[in-house]
Amino acid sequence: MKAPELGAISPDASARGVSDGPVLPPHQADTYYERPLLKRPHWEWNVILYLFLGGIMGGSSSLVLLADEHDEGGRVLARNGRYLGVTLALVCPAILVSHLGRPERFLNMLRIVKLKSPMSVGVWGLFAYGNLAALSAAGQLADDGVLPGWIADLVPKALLDPVLAIFGSFIAGYTGVLISATAIPVWAKGKRHIPALSVCSGVASACAAHAALLALEGDFPETAAKLERLELVASLAELAGLEHFRRYAGEIGKPMFDGPRGRKLRTFTQYGGILGATLLNLLPGHSRVKTVAASALTLLGGYVFRETLIEAGKDSADDPRAASRQPE
Amino acid sequence: MANGFFTDTTLCIGCKACEVACKQWNQLPADGYEFSGNSYDNTMALGGATWRHVAFVEQQAPPDEPPSESRWLMMSDVCKHCTNAGCHEACPTGAIVRNEFDDVYIQPDICNGCGYCVPSCPFGVVDLIAHADYSDGRGFVSDGRTNDDATQKSGGIAGKCTLCYDRQKVGFTPACAKACPTESIVFGDVDQLKAQARARVEKLAERGVPAYLYGVDTDTSVGDLNAFFLLTDRPEKYNLPERPVLPSTRQPAGYASGAFAAAALAYVGYLIFRR
Repeated sequence: MKAPELGAISPDASARGVSDGPVLPPHQADTYYERPLLKRPHWEWNVILYLFLGGIMGGSSSLVLLADEHDEGGRVLARNGRYLGVTLALVCPAILVSHLGRPERFLNMLRIVKLKSPMSVGVWGLFAYGNLAALSAAGQLADDGVLPGWIADLVPKALLDPVLAIFGSFIAGYTGVLISATAIPVWAKGKRHIPALSVCSGVASACAAHAALLALEGDFPETAAKLERLELVASLAELAGLEHFRRYAGEIGKPMFDGPRGRKLRTFTQYGGILGATLLNLLPGHSRVKTVAASALTLLGGYVFRETLIEAGKDSADDPRAASRQPE
Repeated sequence: MANGFFTDTTLCIGCKACEVACKQWNQLPADGYEFSGNSYDNTMALGGATWRHVAFVEQQAPPDEPPSESRWLMMSDVCKHCTNAGCHEACPTGAIVRNEFDDVYIQPDICNGCGYCVPSCPFGVVDLIAHADYSDGRGFVSDGRTNDDATQKSGGIAGKCTLCYDRQKVGFTPACAKACPTESIVFGDVDQLKAQARARVEKLAERGVPAYLYGVDTDTSVGDLNAFFLLTDRPEKYNLPERPVLPSTRQPAGYASGAFAAAALAYVGYLIFRR
């Protein structure tokens, strides 16, 4: 009779960290039965989606500030940015609530301000951003004739735009700080890379989203070209940052860059979202279909980057060696 | 005054009375029946509803050494109640507090289940208590104080050792220390415990047993641990981190790098978008 394998006796054991591989005899073992030292983060699609949309929201507000409202394309870009900002400011808390389970639970975070906790700082940033974005959108609605004109006079656009750009940039970046200020080895190792990558990815995604919106609304070649150029810079910075992080993290970065997950990151983010979209944008001539396709590639790449980051963190938590000597 | 645990692993006999006492007093559900194959350890890890965990390491002598060199390490693991606690700093609701006994305590009615404390613990202690689900006999929501409908219906909350806050309130010893038959787990004032522990290390050294204190007098960002240990092998053999790092120490670098990226892109954007 064949002896049952460990995994067969206790199918659940592998889920709780029993290694399938050979385990060294105890007097040599350098871990506790290869069992995880850390706990896996419980963050699922809702947190990933929030990171992604928060990046777009932040980048979008910077574009509003950058947009030149002296020409038609710039005006449309700024208008889209204000509307997209307030829309995402409404969607993001809803996504966070879906993660927490009940709406009241979101309010628990508004009972204290805690500078030591990036999540607390972030939720207040989101709160401030949401209110200011609503004000900014109200001004835009008045400009567009939806709301009475006197409301536009009450909204201090010249002040709101830069303030929102600052809050927005903060929201695009703080999620990276939040993630890397944990014990998870791959996240901790990326304390400098992940926040910068989050900002770059957020700006690139925002440019892509706006390029697509602009293309669907009409023909604004100058503004579209500017968006493409900024997207190119942000994307290339992201590409370089990812590659540098991969080399810098080495063994600790494997859950992110190796195996099927690494292949997915390369395919969708590095090749598709960055190189693919850039090549599409560089093709001569401009058409709506081309712009929207390039934007879709960039956005998909941005989402896959966030997903890879979170999922890699879970596997990284399972590595007792990386968790024993934690990155500074 | 700070209260804590001194867990002397050289006195532990692996009876798991601490695990049982903790489960009983705190009304924590069972972990289910799973055979790990890892010595006598079927508990396997601390968790949201497992606040004491006895680790077993059977170290057989290598073939070329006498059998007397074999030994069996046992350690009752618990939340460390760090001086600088990662979970405490991460908690965005203020649910995790340092109570009047200087212990790290999760207020269950304030915890919103965001899960940020879970990856923020450098020791992998705190975990979310899952949604109510009795179907497989393992999922549940109940830690005695949060057994309300609302918590059962949606989302979990974080759970970990309270250092028996309720027992301490009325002057009782925490359940695990009370139940420990060998005084491997000692509860008391942390300064007194440290003195006791240092004396124990010296006494063991006189007998030729090399031992050291884990979580005392070490230069780490988490600071001294209110629940510390006397160990006779390297920390990682007991699944303790050799070098724990307080996660918030990485924030300045993170904020700086994010701000730099944002400023650089803003400048490039300005150059591109200016007329």
